[in-house]
Amino acid sequence: MSVKVDIPSYLQPYTNNTEVVEVNGSTVGECINHLIKQFPTMKKMLFAKNGRLHSYVGIYINGEDAYPDELAKPIEEGDALYILYIIGGG
Amino acid sequence: MLTTEERERYDRQIMIRGIGEEGQEKLKQAKVVVAGSGGLGSPASIYLAAAGVGTIRMIDHDRVELSNLNRQILHWDKDIGRNKVDSAAEKLSQLNRSVKIEAVEETIDEVNISRLVAGFDLIVDAMDNLPTRYLLNKAAIDNHIPFIHGAVYGLEGRVMTIIPGKTACLRCVYRGLIPEEKFPVIGVTPAVIGCIQATEVIKYIVGIGKLLTDRLLVYDGLNMKFTELVVKRDPNCEHCGHLKGKG
Repeated sequence: MSVKVDIPSYLQPYTNNTEVVEVNGSTVGECINHLIKQFPTMKKMLFAKNGRLHSYVGIYINGEDAYPDELAKPIEEGDALYILYIIGGG
Repeated sequence: MLTTEERERYDRQIMIRGIGEEGQEKLKQAKVVVAGSGGLGSPASIYLAAAGVGTIRMIDHDRVELSNLNRQILHWDKDIGRNKVDSAAEKLSQLNRSVKIEAVEETIDEVNISRLVAGFDLIVDAMDNLPTRYLLNKAAIDNHIPFIHGAVYGLEGRVMTIIPGKTACLRCVYRGLIPEEKFPVIGVTPAVIGCIQATEVIKYIVGIGKLLTDRLLVYDGLNMKFTELVVKRDPNCEHCGHLKGKG
């Protein structure tokens, strides 16, 4: 499945300032792995050392929160993924 | 009861369908906590004072620094070194003398937070760090006070309205902490987000419109794009999971 991943501005330095990245996969996890294959430094921004998503990273499928078990959620052709990174400035 | 002067001052907003004199009276009676007198707290409180929100409690422990002045528009060159809440209260009182401004110079913590928000109708999240935001979220949930979250980073911002026990809370959406860091920001970003927070406050008090509940609004100023993410209550949320209500 071909899926577009919306990269938040916070993470765009890790995707060569690309805002939307096209990936392939049948689950969220496969899509994220394909994203990391294209931009390897994204791995440390998304995953903790234990292999789980950082607690401050959220994944949204077509604008809806995929939590919990985000990585196992199935993906269909044309779906859009959004990575939400916590920000705390004020 | 509105005075003749108040009817004239608020004439243009009383004309708005759904506000009227009844809505203006609700604003006059309302008590709002603005937690933080910086980038977000400045625009949010300015527009709440201008709109005639009767009591605004400004809470902050910081003093004004030169590096604040690109965005914290309640504070001017002459205020450098001064308590932020005193600086804020002075400007807000000059903007609208009929509004009661309470300046509270305290650091929000687990011990004082319930006292600081007790008796207030709404809390505006205008903090600059996540741990205090989570404290405010929990206090809002525990005291059943609606909570208007806002945050910024660079040219990006977020807003969400939380009605305790009914809609997703901040902890349902944000489940972790990011490392503390000095964050980039330019004044126009908190201006946008703070004004949206003030809009939510006004709508809630008057009882009009559709609140930004169960939705996280993401503002991307660089591409001038608003994205709405659908969020839901987490039944296992450590802050609101114990409350009954729609999940």
